[in-house]
Amino acid sequence: MKKVPIAPRPGWQAFAESVGFQFHTIDNEPYWDESAYYQFSLAQIEDDLEAPTEQLHQMALDLIPDIIRSEQQLSQLGIPEPFWDAVKDSWQRAEPHLYGRMDFAYDGKGPAKLLELNYDTPTSLYETGFFQWVWLEDQQMRGLLPAGADQFNSLQDKLEQAFAELPLPRPFYFSSVTESQEDKGTVDYLMDIALQSGLDSRYIQLEQIGDIDGQLVDLEGYPIQGLFKLYPWEFMLQEEFAGTILSSDTRFLEPLWKLLLSNKGILPLLWQKYQGHPNLLPAFFDDGKTALNPGWVRKPLFSREGANVELITPQGEKLQQGGPYTDSGYIRQAFAPLPRFGDSYTLIGSWVVGDLAAGIGIREDNSLITKDSSRFLPHIILD
Amino acid sequence: MQKKPFKRSRKAALIFMVPAATLALQGCGAEKAVEAQVFNTPDECAAFYNPPAQCQAAFAEAQALHPQVAPKYANKQECEADFGTGQCETAPQQHAQGSFFMPMMMGFLAGQMLNRGGMAPQQQQQTAAAAAGRNTVPNQPLYKARDDQSTFRTATNTPVASQPGPTQVRPSAVQPKPATLARRGGFGAQAQQRAAAAPRQATYGG
Repeated sequence: MKKVPIAPRPGWQAFAESVGFQFHTIDNEPYWDESAYYQFSLAQIEDDLEAPTEQLHQMALDLIPDIIRSEQQLSQLGIPEPFWDAVKDSWQRAEPHLYGRMDFAYDGKGPAKLLELNYDTPTSLYETGFFQWVWLEDQQMRGLLPAGADQFNSLQDKLEQAFAELPLPRPFYFSSVTESQEDKGTVDYLMDIALQSGLDSRYIQLEQIGDIDGQLVDLEGYPIQGLFKLYPWEFMLQEEFAGTILSSDTRFLEPLWKLLLSNKGILPLLWQKYQGHPNLLPAFFDDGKTALNPGWVRKPLFSREGANVELITPQGEKLQQGGPYTDSGYIRQAFAPLPRFGDSYTLIGSWVVGDLAAGIGIREDNSLITKDSSRFLPHIILD
Repeated sequence: MQKKPFKRSRKAALIFMVPAATLALQGCGAEKAVEAQVFNTPDECAAFYNPPAQCQAAFAEAQALHPQVAPKYANKQECEADFGTGQCETAPQQHAQGSFFMPMMMGFLAGQMLNRGGMAPQQQQQTAAAAAGRNTVPNQPLYKARDDQSTFRTATNTPVASQPGPTQVRPSAVQPKPATLARRGGFGAQAQQRAAAAPRQATYGG
Protein backbone atom coordinates (compact mmCIF):
# COMPACT_ATOMS: atom_id res chain seq x y z
CA MET A 1 0.00 0.00 0.00
CA LYS A 2 1.45 3.30 -1.04
CA LYS A 3 0.35 6.76 -2.06
CA VAL A 4 1.45 7.88 -5.52
CA PRO A 5 1.10 11.40 -6.95
CA ILE A 6 -0.51 11.66 -10.39
CA ALA A 7 -1.61 14.49 -12.68
CA PRO A 8 -5.32 15.22 -12.34
CA ARG A 9 -7.33 14.88 -15.55
CA PRO A 10 -7.60 18.29 -17.21
CA GLY A 11 -11.13 19.66 -16.82
CA TRP A 12 -12.25 16.90 -14.48
CA GLN A 13 -14.40 19.35 -12.49
CA ALA A 14 -16.58 20.18 -15.49
CA PHE A 15 -16.83 16.49 -16.30
CA ALA A 16 -17.82 15.73 -12.70
CA GLU A 17 -20.61 18.28 -12.84
CA SER A 18 -21.84 16.90 -16.16
CA VAL A 19 -22.33 13.48 -14.57
CA GLY A 20 -24.14 14.64 -11.45
CA PHE A 21 -21.14 15.01 -9.09
CA GLN A 22 -21.98 18.55 -7.91
CA PHE A 23 -20.40 17.98 -4.50
CA HIS A 24 -16.84 17.32 -5.73
CA THR A 25 -15.97 20.47 -3.78
CA ILE A 26 -17.73 21.20 -0.47
CA ASP A 27 -17.65 24.69 1.07
CA ASN A 28 -14.74 25.59 -1.25
CA GLU A 29 -12.69 22.68 0.09
CA PRO A 30 -11.76 19.83 -2.27
CA TYR A 31 -13.70 16.68 -1.56
CA TRP A 32 -12.78 14.57 -4.59
CA ASP A 33 -8.97 14.66 -4.77
CA GLU A 34 -7.24 13.05 -7.74
CA SER A 35 -3.81 14.60 -7.22
CA ALA A 36 -2.71 11.20 -5.91
CA TYR A 37 -3.95 7.63 -5.65
CA TYR A 38 -3.38 4.68 -3.37
CA GLN A 39 -1.87 1.51 -4.75
CA PHE A 40 -2.45 -1.94 -3.23
CA SER A 41 -1.20 -5.39 -4.10
CA LEU A 42 -3.83 -7.98 -4.98
CA ALA A 43 -2.88 -9.93 -1.85
CA GLN A 44 -3.46 -6.86 0.34
CA ILE A 45 -6.91 -6.42 -1.18
CA GLU A 46 -7.98 -10.05 -1.09
CA ASP A 47 -6.41 -11.24 2.14
CA ASP A 48 -6.42 -8.12 4.29
CA LEU A 49 -9.62 -6.34 3.20
CA GLU A 50 -12.00 -8.44 1.12
CA ALA A 51 -11.93 -11.64 3.18
CA PRO A 52 -12.08 -9.89 6.58
CA THR A 53 -14.96 -7.72 5.35
CA GLU A 54 -17.07 -10.75 4.52
CA GLN A 55 -16.06 -12.52 7.71
CA LEU A 56 -16.83 -9.52 9.95
CA HIS A 57 -20.13 -9.07 8.15
CA GLN A 58 -21.12 -12.64 8.98
CA MET A 59 -19.94 -12.23 12.57
CA ALA A 60 -22.12 -9.13 12.94
CA LEU A 61 -25.14 -10.87 11.41
CA ASP A 62 -24.59 -13.80 13.77
CA LEU A 63 -25.02 -11.46 16.75
CA ILE A 64 -28.53 -10.45 15.77
CA PRO A 65 -30.49 -13.50 16.98
CA ASP A 66 -28.95 -13.03 20.44
CA ILE A 67 -29.59 -9.29 20.51
CA ILE A 68 -33.27 -9.48 19.58
CA ARG A 69 -33.84 -12.02 22.35
CA SER A 70 -32.10 -9.87 24.97
CA GLU A 71 -33.89 -6.90 26.49
CA GLN A 72 -30.63 -5.92 28.11
CA GLN A 73 -28.79 -5.71 24.79
CA LEU A 74 -31.65 -3.90 23.04
CA SER A 75 -31.52 -1.35 25.87
CA GLN A 76 -27.74 -1.07 25.70
CA LEU A 77 -28.04 -0.32 22.00
CA GLY A 78 -30.51 2.48 22.71
CA ILE A 79 -33.36 0.91 20.72
CA PRO A 80 -36.63 2.52 21.89
CA GLU A 81 -38.76 -0.14 23.54
CA PRO A 82 -41.91 0.44 21.41
CA PHE A 83 -39.87 -0.69 18.39
CA TRP A 84 -38.32 -3.86 19.82
CA ASP A 85 -40.95 -6.12 18.29
CA ALA A 86 -40.74 -4.38 14.94
CA VAL A 87 -36.94 -4.84 14.89
CA LYS A 88 -37.38 -8.54 15.73
CA ASP A 89 -40.06 -8.97 13.10
CA SER A 90 -38.01 -7.33 10.38
CA TRP A 91 -35.19 -9.78 11.11
CA GLN A 92 -37.39 -12.85 11.48
CA ARG A 93 -39.20 -12.07 8.23
CA ALA A 94 -35.72 -11.95 6.65
CA GLU A 95 -36.37 -8.50 5.18
CA PRO A 96 -33.68 -7.98 2.56
CA HIS A 97 -30.81 -5.55 3.05
CA LEU A 98 -28.94 -3.77 0.31
CA TYR A 99 -25.63 -2.35 1.40
CA GLY A 100 -23.27 -1.21 4.13
CA ARG A 101 -19.76 0.07 4.65
CA MET A 102 -17.14 -0.90 7.22
CA ASP A 103 -14.42 1.54 8.12
CA PHE A 104 -10.93 0.17 8.68
CA ALA A 105 -7.61 1.41 9.95
CA TYR A 106 -5.14 -0.37 7.65
CA ASP A 107 -1.60 0.51 6.62
CA GLY A 108 -0.80 -2.32 4.21
CA LYS A 109 0.72 -4.56 6.85
CA GLY A 110 -0.98 -6.62 9.50
CA PRO A 111 -4.68 -7.00 10.09
CA ALA A 112 -7.10 -4.21 9.20
CA LYS A 113 -8.81 -2.98 12.37
CA LEU A 114 -12.56 -2.46 12.27
CA LEU A 115 -13.44 1.05 13.46
CA GLU A 116 -17.18 0.90 12.85
CA LEU A 117 -20.03 -0.31 10.68
CA ASN A 118 -22.02 2.21 8.63
CA TYR A 119 -24.87 -0.13 7.93
CA ASP A 120 -27.92 2.12 7.73
CA THR A 121 -27.12 5.20 5.64
CA PRO A 122 -23.64 4.80 4.16
CA THR A 123 -22.57 7.46 1.67
CA SER A 124 -19.58 8.04 -0.66
CA LEU A 125 -21.17 5.36 -2.81
CA TYR A 126 -21.18 7.33 -6.06
CA GLU A 127 -17.57 8.42 -5.58
CA THR A 128 -16.55 4.81 -5.03
CA GLY A 129 -18.74 2.94 -7.48
CA PHE A 130 -18.79 5.34 -10.40
CA PHE A 131 -16.37 8.25 -10.27
CA GLN A 132 -13.19 6.41 -9.22
CA TRP A 133 -14.01 3.67 -11.73
CA VAL A 134 -14.15 6.26 -14.55
CA TRP A 135 -10.99 7.88 -13.21
CA LEU A 136 -9.08 4.62 -13.61
CA GLU A 137 -10.34 4.04 -17.17
CA ASP A 138 -9.49 7.65 -18.08
CA GLN A 139 -5.99 7.51 -16.65
CA GLN A 140 -5.34 4.22 -18.43
CA MET A 141 -6.56 5.74 -21.68
CA ARG A 142 -4.25 8.72 -21.16
CA GLY A 143 -1.37 6.34 -20.53
CA LEU A 144 -0.72 7.54 -16.98
CA LEU A 145 -1.66 4.17 -15.50
CA PRO A 146 -0.75 0.75 -16.90
CA ALA A 147 -3.44 -1.26 -18.66
CA GLY A 148 -2.96 -4.03 -16.10
CA ALA A 149 -4.01 -1.84 -13.19
CA ASP A 150 -7.25 -2.92 -11.54
CA GLN A 151 -9.46 -1.57 -8.76
CA PHE A 152 -11.33 -3.25 -5.92
CA ASN A 153 -14.68 -1.88 -6.95
CA SER A 154 -17.52 -4.13 -8.06
CA LEU A 155 -20.09 -1.86 -6.40
CA GLN A 156 -22.12 -0.96 -9.45
CA ASP A 157 -22.26 -4.54 -10.76
CA LYS A 158 -23.31 -5.88 -7.39
CA LEU A 159 -25.89 -3.16 -6.74
CA GLU A 160 -27.42 -3.68 -10.16
CA GLN A 161 -27.64 -7.39 -9.49
CA ALA A 162 -29.15 -6.77 -6.06
CA PHE A 163 -31.86 -4.48 -7.44
CA ALA A 164 -32.66 -7.07 -10.09
CA GLU A 165 -32.87 -9.95 -7.62
CA LEU A 166 -34.20 -8.56 -4.32
CA PRO A 167 -37.94 -9.03 -3.79
CA LEU A 168 -38.83 -5.31 -3.81
CA PRO A 169 -42.33 -3.82 -4.17
CA ARG A 170 -42.99 -1.80 -7.31
CA PRO A 171 -42.98 1.08 -7.74
CA PHE A 172 -40.05 1.49 -5.39
CA TYR A 173 -39.43 4.92 -3.86
CA PHE A 174 -36.13 6.61 -3.02
CA SER A 175 -35.95 9.37 -0.47
CA SER A 176 -33.49 11.81 1.12
CA VAL A 177 -33.49 15.08 3.04
CA THR A 178 -34.21 18.00 0.69
CA GLU A 179 -31.38 20.25 1.83
CA SER A 180 -28.52 17.78 1.37
CA GLN A 181 -27.05 17.84 -2.12
CA GLU A 182 -24.61 15.10 -1.19
CA ASP A 183 -27.38 12.76 -0.01
CA LYS A 184 -29.39 13.50 -3.15
CA GLY A 185 -26.31 12.58 -5.21
CA THR A 186 -26.05 9.24 -3.45
CA VAL A 187 -29.76 8.54 -3.90
CA ASP A 188 -29.68 9.59 -7.56
CA TYR A 189 -26.89 7.10 -8.16
CA LEU A 190 -28.78 4.28 -6.47
CA MET A 191 -31.92 5.16 -8.45
CA ASP A 192 -29.92 5.25 -11.63
CA ILE A 193 -28.64 1.73 -11.00
CA ALA A 194 -32.10 0.55 -9.97
CA LEU A 195 -33.56 1.92 -13.22
CA GLN A 196 -30.82 0.17 -15.19
CA SER A 197 -31.78 -3.08 -13.52
CA GLY A 198 -35.41 -2.56 -14.55
CA LEU A 199 -36.88 -1.49 -11.22
CA ASP A 200 -39.72 1.07 -11.45
CA SER A 201 -38.07 3.77 -9.31
CA ARG A 202 -39.39 7.12 -8.09
CA TYR A 203 -37.99 9.89 -5.93
CA ILE A 204 -39.82 11.61 -3.10
CA GLN A 205 -38.38 14.18 -0.70
CA LEU A 206 -38.34 12.73 2.79
CA GLU A 207 -40.31 15.70 4.14
CA GLN A 208 -43.02 15.20 1.51
CA ILE A 209 -43.87 11.65 2.53
CA GLY A 210 -47.46 11.56 3.72
CA ASP A 211 -49.52 9.47 6.13
CA ILE A 212 -53.10 8.43 5.46
CA ASP A 213 -54.62 6.33 8.21
CA GLY A 214 -51.26 4.89 9.20
CA GLN A 215 -50.03 4.14 5.67
CA LEU A 216 -47.10 6.04 4.17
CA VAL A 217 -48.18 7.64 0.88
CA ASP A 218 -46.61 9.54 -2.00
CA LEU A 219 -47.58 13.02 -3.20
CA GLU A 220 -50.64 11.72 -5.01
CA GLY A 221 -51.76 9.75 -1.99
CA TYR A 222 -50.77 6.33 -3.35
CA PRO A 223 -49.36 3.88 -0.78
CA ILE A 224 -45.57 3.67 -0.56
CA GLN A 225 -44.92 -0.06 -0.34
CA GLY A 226 -41.18 0.08 -0.86
CA LEU A 227 -38.92 2.88 0.36
CA PHE A 228 -35.17 3.43 0.31
CA LYS A 229 -34.47 6.17 2.84
CA LEU A 230 -31.09 7.83 3.15
CA TYR A 231 -32.04 8.98 6.62
CA PRO A 232 -31.06 7.42 9.94
CA TRP A 233 -33.50 4.99 11.52
CA GLU A 234 -32.78 6.42 14.95
CA PHE A 235 -34.06 9.82 13.72
CA MET A 236 -37.17 8.34 12.14
CA LEU A 237 -38.08 6.54 15.36
CA GLN A 238 -38.17 9.88 17.21
CA GLU A 239 -40.26 11.79 14.68
CA GLU A 240 -43.96 12.42 14.20
CA PHE A 241 -44.45 9.50 11.81
CA ALA A 242 -42.61 7.00 14.04
CA GLY A 243 -45.92 5.27 14.77
CA THR A 244 -46.66 5.04 11.05
CA ILE A 245 -43.52 2.94 10.60
CA LEU A 246 -45.21 0.27 12.70
CA SER A 247 -48.59 0.40 10.96
CA SER A 248 -47.59 1.11 7.37
CA ASP A 249 -47.41 -1.66 4.79
CA THR A 250 -43.96 -0.53 3.66
CA ARG A 251 -40.80 -2.51 3.01
CA PHE A 252 -37.77 -0.38 3.89
CA LEU A 253 -34.21 -0.32 2.66
CA GLU A 254 -32.29 -0.59 4.82
CA PRO A 255 -34.64 -2.77 6.91
CA LEU A 256 -35.26 -1.85 10.53
CA TRP A 257 -32.95 -4.60 11.83
CA LYS A 258 -30.00 -2.68 10.37
CA LEU A 259 -30.48 -0.30 13.31
CA LEU A 260 -28.70 -2.94 15.41
CA LEU A 261 -25.61 -3.00 13.18
CA SER A 262 -25.30 0.70 12.30
CA ASN A 263 -25.07 1.20 16.04
CA LYS A 264 -21.62 1.68 17.62
CA GLY A 265 -22.88 -0.61 20.39
CA ILE A 266 -22.31 -3.51 18.00
CA LEU A 267 -18.56 -2.99 18.57
CA PRO A 268 -18.54 -3.99 22.27
CA LEU A 269 -20.95 -6.83 21.48
CA LEU A 270 -18.61 -8.12 18.76
CA TRP A 271 -15.69 -7.87 21.20
CA GLN A 272 -17.64 -9.77 23.89
CA LYS A 273 -18.31 -12.65 21.54
CA TYR A 274 -15.10 -12.68 19.49
CA GLN A 275 -12.54 -11.26 21.92
CA GLY A 276 -9.04 -11.29 20.44
CA HIS A 277 -10.17 -11.53 16.81
CA PRO A 278 -7.35 -9.97 14.77
CA ASN A 279 -9.65 -7.48 13.00
CA LEU A 280 -11.40 -6.30 16.15
CA LEU A 281 -10.37 -3.63 18.63
CA PRO A 282 -11.24 -3.95 22.32
CA ALA A 283 -14.50 -2.08 22.87
CA PHE A 284 -16.83 -1.51 25.82
CA PHE A 285 -20.04 0.32 26.62
CA ASP A 286 -19.25 3.67 28.24
CA ASP A 287 -21.15 6.07 30.47
CA GLY A 288 -19.94 9.08 28.48
CA LYS A 289 -18.77 10.87 31.64
CA THR A 290 -15.70 9.08 33.02
CA ALA A 291 -12.44 10.67 31.90
CA LEU A 292 -10.96 8.89 28.91
CA ASN A 293 -7.55 7.22 29.33
CA PRO A 294 -4.75 7.62 26.79
CA GLY A 295 -5.11 5.14 23.94
CA TRP A 296 -8.92 5.20 23.86
CA VAL A 297 -11.62 6.65 21.65
CA ARG A 298 -15.16 7.51 22.76
CA LYS A 299 -18.02 7.48 20.23
CA PRO A 300 -21.78 8.01 20.56
CA LEU A 301 -23.93 4.94 19.79
CA PHE A 302 -25.45 6.93 16.96
CA SER A 303 -23.31 9.41 15.09
CA ARG A 304 -22.30 10.13 11.53
CA GLU A 305 -19.18 11.45 9.80
CA GLY A 306 -16.99 11.53 12.90
CA ALA A 307 -19.31 13.84 14.81
CA ASN A 308 -19.00 13.89 18.63
CA VAL A 309 -16.00 11.58 18.63
CA GLU A 310 -13.37 12.11 21.33
CA LEU A 311 -9.96 10.47 21.46
CA ILE A 312 -6.69 10.47 23.40
CA THR A 313 -3.62 9.03 21.70
CA PRO A 314 -1.28 6.79 23.69
CA GLN A 315 1.04 9.84 23.84
CA GLY A 316 -1.72 11.84 25.55
CA GLU A 317 -2.74 14.05 22.61
CA LYS A 318 -6.45 14.89 22.91
CA LEU A 319 -8.78 15.35 19.95
CA GLN A 320 -12.43 16.12 20.02
CA GLN A 321 -14.93 16.59 17.22
CA GLY A 322 -18.10 18.54 18.01
CA GLY A 323 -21.43 17.72 16.54
CA PRO A 324 -25.12 17.18 16.94
CA TYR A 325 -25.12 13.59 18.29
CA THR A 326 -25.16 14.14 22.03
CA ASP A 327 -28.38 12.36 22.89
CA SER A 328 -27.44 8.68 22.80
CA GLY A 329 -25.24 6.41 24.90
CA TYR A 330 -21.52 5.93 24.25
CA ILE A 331 -18.92 3.26 23.68
CA ARG A 332 -15.17 3.37 24.07
CA GLN A 333 -12.82 1.60 21.74
CA ALA A 334 -9.07 1.03 21.85
CA PHE A 335 -7.25 3.58 19.72
CA ALA A 336 -5.93 2.26 16.40
CA PRO A 337 -3.92 4.97 14.67
CA LEU A 338 -4.85 5.70 11.09
CA PRO A 339 -1.75 5.37 8.89
CA ARG A 340 -0.15 8.63 7.88
CA PHE A 341 0.81 9.36 4.29
CA GLY A 342 2.52 12.74 4.06
CA ASP A 343 0.33 15.14 6.01
CA SER A 344 -2.78 13.03 5.80
CA TYR A 345 -4.38 10.27 7.82
CA THR A 346 -6.01 7.58 5.73
CA LEU A 347 -9.17 5.56 6.34
CA ILE A 348 -10.48 2.69 4.24
CA GLY A 349 -14.19 2.25 3.70
CA SER A 350 -14.97 -1.31 2.64
CA TRP A 351 -18.34 -1.90 1.00
CA VAL A 352 -20.72 -4.78 1.41
CA VAL A 353 -23.59 -5.40 -1.01
CA GLY A 354 -25.95 -8.11 0.13
CA ASP A 355 -23.43 -10.28 1.97
CA LEU A 356 -20.46 -9.81 -0.35
CA ALA A 357 -17.49 -7.45 -0.19
CA ALA A 358 -17.87 -5.02 -3.07
CA GLY A 359 -14.94 -2.62 -3.11
CA ILE A 360 -13.23 0.16 -1.23
CA GLY A 361 -13.19 3.94 -1.04
CA ILE A 362 -10.43 5.92 0.62
CA ARG A 363 -10.84 9.01 2.77
CA GLU A 364 -8.05 11.32 3.90
CA ASP A 365 -8.11 13.92 6.64
CA ASN A 366 -5.56 16.20 8.23
CA SER A 367 -6.64 14.87 11.61
CA LEU A 368 -7.04 11.44 13.19
CA ILE A 369 -10.83 11.81 13.08
CA THR A 370 -12.28 11.28 9.61
CA LYS A 371 -15.16 13.69 8.97
CA ASP A 372 -17.71 14.68 6.35
CA SER A 373 -15.15 17.12 4.95
CA SER A 374 -12.44 14.46 4.55
CA ARG A 375 -11.13 14.11 1.00
CA PHE A 376 -11.89 11.10 -1.18
CA LEU A 377 -8.98 9.62 -3.17
CA PRO A 378 -9.05 6.88 -5.82
CA HIS A 379 -7.05 3.66 -5.66
CA ILE A 380 -5.66 0.96 -7.91
CA ILE A 381 -4.52 -2.64 -7.58
CA LEU A 382 -1.14 -3.31 -9.18
CA ASP A 383 1.34 -6.02 -8.27
CA MET B 1 -12.00 -7.43 -27.00
CA GLN B 2 -10.09 -6.58 -23.89
CA LYS B 3 -10.93 -8.83 -20.98
CA LYS B 4 -11.86 -6.74 -17.94
CA PRO B 5 -9.91 -7.55 -14.83
CA PHE B 6 -11.67 -9.25 -12.02
CA LYS B 7 -11.92 -6.85 -9.10
CA ARG B 8 -13.95 -4.05 -10.61
CA SER B 9 -17.35 -3.68 -12.25
CA ARG B 10 -17.67 -4.70 -15.88
CA LYS B 11 -19.21 -1.31 -16.49
CA ALA B 12 -20.08 1.79 -14.50
CA ALA B 13 -22.65 3.69 -16.52
CA LEU B 14 -25.29 6.25 -15.76
CA ILE B 15 -28.58 6.70 -17.53
CA PHE B 16 -30.45 9.43 -15.72
CA MET B 17 -27.80 11.40 -13.83
CA VAL B 18 -26.36 12.70 -17.11
CA PRO B 19 -28.11 15.68 -18.75
CA ALA B 20 -28.46 14.12 -22.22
CA ALA B 21 -30.37 11.22 -20.76
CA THR B 22 -32.47 13.58 -18.64
CA LEU B 23 -33.51 15.46 -21.76
CA ALA B 24 -34.39 12.21 -23.46
CA LEU B 25 -36.53 11.17 -20.51
CA GLN B 26 -38.38 14.48 -20.55
CA GLY B 27 -39.42 13.68 -24.09
CA CYS B 28 -41.24 15.95 -26.46
CA GLY B 29 -41.16 19.71 -26.89
CA ALA B 30 -42.49 22.41 -24.60
CA GLU B 31 -46.22 22.72 -24.11
CA LYS B 32 -47.89 25.90 -25.35
CA ALA B 33 -49.53 28.26 -22.89
CA VAL B 34 -53.18 29.10 -23.56
CA GLU B 35 -55.33 31.98 -22.42
CA ALA B 36 -57.59 31.70 -19.40
CA GLN B 37 -59.12 34.33 -17.11
CA VAL B 38 -58.88 34.96 -13.40
CA PHE B 39 -61.54 36.71 -11.30
CA ASN B 40 -62.42 37.39 -7.70
CA THR B 41 -66.19 37.18 -8.30
CA PRO B 42 -68.71 36.43 -11.11
CA ASP B 43 -69.57 40.15 -11.22
CA GLU B 44 -65.96 41.06 -11.87
CA CYS B 45 -65.94 38.42 -14.62
CA ALA B 46 -68.96 40.06 -16.27
CA ALA B 47 -67.31 43.47 -15.96
CA PHE B 48 -64.57 42.11 -18.27
CA TYR B 49 -67.22 41.86 -21.04
CA ASN B 50 -67.93 38.18 -20.47
CA PRO B 51 -71.50 36.83 -20.63
CA PRO B 52 -72.85 37.01 -17.06
CA ALA B 53 -74.45 33.55 -17.32
CA GLN B 54 -71.11 31.98 -18.31
CA CYS B 55 -69.39 33.82 -15.48
CA GLN B 56 -71.95 32.48 -13.04
CA ALA B 57 -71.58 28.96 -14.44
CA ALA B 58 -67.77 29.02 -14.24
CA PHE B 59 -67.95 30.33 -10.68
CA ALA B 60 -70.44 27.61 -9.70
CA GLU B 61 -68.18 24.90 -11.16
CA ALA B 62 -65.20 26.28 -9.25
CA GLN B 63 -67.22 26.42 -6.05
CA ALA B 64 -68.29 22.82 -6.49
CA LEU B 65 -64.70 21.69 -7.04
CA HIS B 66 -63.39 23.67 -4.06
CA PRO B 67 -64.10 21.10 -1.28
CA GLN B 68 -62.65 18.30 -3.39
CA VAL B 69 -59.42 19.92 -4.54
CA ALA B 70 -58.52 22.45 -1.82
CA PRO B 71 -55.41 21.35 0.13
CA LYS B 72 -56.42 19.62 3.37
CA TYR B 73 -54.91 20.05 6.80
CA ALA B 74 -55.38 17.96 9.90
CA ASN B 75 -55.88 21.11 11.99
CA LYS B 76 -56.67 24.80 11.61
CA GLN B 77 -53.24 26.02 12.82
CA GLU B 78 -51.37 24.22 10.05
CA CYS B 79 -53.82 25.55 7.48
CA GLU B 80 -53.55 29.12 8.75
CA ALA B 81 -49.76 28.87 8.77
CA ASP B 82 -49.97 28.54 4.99
CA PHE B 83 -52.99 30.71 4.19
CA GLY B 84 -53.25 33.27 6.97
CA THR B 85 -55.31 33.81 10.12
CA GLY B 86 -59.04 33.55 9.50
CA GLN B 87 -58.50 32.32 5.94
CA CYS B 88 -59.34 28.65 6.59
CA GLU B 89 -62.60 26.77 6.93
CA THR B 90 -63.77 23.31 7.90
CA ALA B 91 -63.56 20.77 5.10
CA PRO B 92 -66.32 18.18 4.68
CA GLN B 93 -63.79 15.34 5.10
CA GLN B 94 -63.14 13.81 8.52
CA HIS B 95 -60.09 12.18 10.04
CA ALA B 96 -59.74 10.17 13.22
CA GLN B 97 -59.26 13.26 15.43
CA GLY B 98 -61.91 15.47 13.77
CA SER B 99 -62.38 17.53 10.63
CA PHE B 100 -59.84 18.49 8.02
CA PHE B 101 -59.37 22.20 7.31
CA MET B 102 -58.91 23.90 3.97
CA PRO B 103 -58.23 27.45 2.75
CA MET B 104 -61.19 29.57 1.65
CA MET B 105 -61.68 30.02 -2.08
CA MET B 106 -60.34 33.46 -3.06
CA GLY B 107 -61.28 33.55 -6.72
CA PHE B 108 -61.68 31.35 -9.77
CA LEU B 109 -59.97 30.45 -12.98
CA ALA B 110 -62.27 30.50 -16.03
CA GLY B 111 -60.80 28.43 -18.81
CA GLN B 112 -63.81 27.91 -21.02
CA MET B 113 -65.03 31.47 -21.53
CA LEU B 114 -66.17 31.09 -25.12
CA ASN B 115 -67.50 34.52 -26.04
CA ARG B 116 -65.23 37.20 -24.74
CA GLY B 117 -66.04 40.58 -26.33
CA GLY B 118 -66.85 38.95 -29.66
CA MET B 119 -63.30 37.60 -30.20
CA ALA B 120 -64.24 34.93 -32.70
CA PRO B 121 -60.76 33.54 -33.49
CA GLN B 122 -60.12 32.90 -29.81
CA GLN B 123 -63.50 31.19 -29.60
CA GLN B 124 -62.80 28.88 -32.50
CA GLN B 125 -59.35 28.04 -31.24
CA GLN B 126 -60.61 27.12 -27.79
CA THR B 127 -63.63 25.24 -29.07
CA ALA B 128 -61.42 23.18 -31.34
CA ALA B 129 -59.07 22.45 -28.47
CA ALA B 130 -61.94 21.51 -26.20
CA ALA B 131 -63.31 19.19 -28.86
CA ALA B 132 -59.93 17.49 -29.14
CA GLY B 133 -60.03 16.96 -25.38
CA ARG B 134 -56.63 18.49 -24.75
CA ASN B 135 -55.12 21.89 -24.05
CA THR B 136 -58.19 22.69 -22.01
CA VAL B 137 -58.20 24.61 -18.77
CA PRO B 138 -60.99 23.50 -16.44
CA ASN B 139 -62.88 26.12 -14.43
CA GLN B 140 -61.56 25.87 -10.89
CA PRO B 141 -61.14 27.60 -7.53
CA LEU B 142 -58.10 29.76 -6.72
CA TYR B 143 -56.35 30.50 -3.43
CA LYS B 144 -53.90 32.99 -1.95
CA ALA B 145 -50.95 32.12 0.28
CA ARG B 146 -50.43 33.90 3.60
CA ASP B 147 -47.06 35.34 2.59
CA ASP B 148 -48.11 36.31 -0.96
CA GLN B 149 -51.57 37.84 -0.91
CA SER B 150 -51.33 39.27 -4.43
CA THR B 151 -50.94 35.98 -6.32
CA PHE B 152 -53.80 33.70 -7.31
CA ARG B 153 -52.78 30.05 -7.01
CA THR B 154 -54.44 26.79 -7.95
CA ALA B 155 -55.20 24.16 -5.31
CA THR B 156 -51.90 22.48 -6.19
CA ASN B 157 -50.04 25.78 -5.54
CA THR B 158 -49.39 26.77 -9.15
CA PRO B 159 -49.36 30.58 -9.44
CA VAL B 160 -51.61 31.69 -12.32
CA ALA B 161 -51.97 35.48 -12.07
CA SER B 162 -51.37 38.50 -9.84
CA GLN B 163 -54.41 40.47 -11.02
CA PRO B 164 -57.89 39.78 -12.37
CA GLY B 165 -58.38 39.38 -16.11
CA PRO B 166 -56.76 37.34 -18.89
CA THR B 167 -53.62 35.32 -18.18
CA GLN B 168 -51.51 32.64 -19.88
CA VAL B 169 -51.37 29.17 -18.35
CA ARG B 170 -49.98 25.79 -19.36
CA PRO B 171 -52.97 23.43 -19.28
CA SER B 172 -51.00 20.53 -17.78
CA ALA B 173 -50.03 22.73 -14.81
CA VAL B 174 -53.62 23.58 -13.88
CA GLN B 175 -55.45 20.26 -14.00
CA PRO B 176 -57.42 19.91 -10.75
CA LYS B 177 -56.83 16.76 -8.71
CA PRO B 178 -58.65 15.52 -5.64
CA ALA B 179 -56.61 16.64 -2.62
CA THR B 180 -54.98 13.78 -0.79
CA LEU B 181 -55.97 13.70 2.83
CA ALA B 182 -52.46 12.94 3.96
CA ARG B 183 -50.60 14.37 6.91
CA ARG B 184 -47.13 15.39 5.73
CA GLY B 185 -43.84 16.53 7.20
CA GLY B 186 -43.69 13.70 9.71
CA PHE B 187 -40.09 12.86 8.79
CA GLY B 188 -37.11 15.19 8.68
CA ALA B 189 -37.45 17.13 11.93
CA GLN B 190 -34.27 15.67 13.44
CA ALA B 191 -32.30 16.73 10.39
CA GLN B 192 -33.53 20.29 10.79
CA GLN B 193 -32.69 20.42 14.49
CA ARG B 194 -29.26 18.95 13.96
CA ALA B 195 -28.52 21.15 10.97
CA ALA B 196 -29.17 24.13 13.24
CA ALA B 197 -26.76 22.66 15.82
CA ALA B 198 -24.06 21.82 13.26
CA PRO B 199 -24.57 23.76 10.02
CA ARG B 200 -21.56 22.17 8.31
CA GLN B 201 -23.04 18.70 8.38
CA ALA B 202 -23.59 18.11 4.67
CA THR B 203 -25.10 14.68 4.88
CA TYR B 204 -27.35 12.48 6.96
CA GLY B 205 -25.56 9.48 5.60
CA GLY B 206 -22.14 8.64 6.93
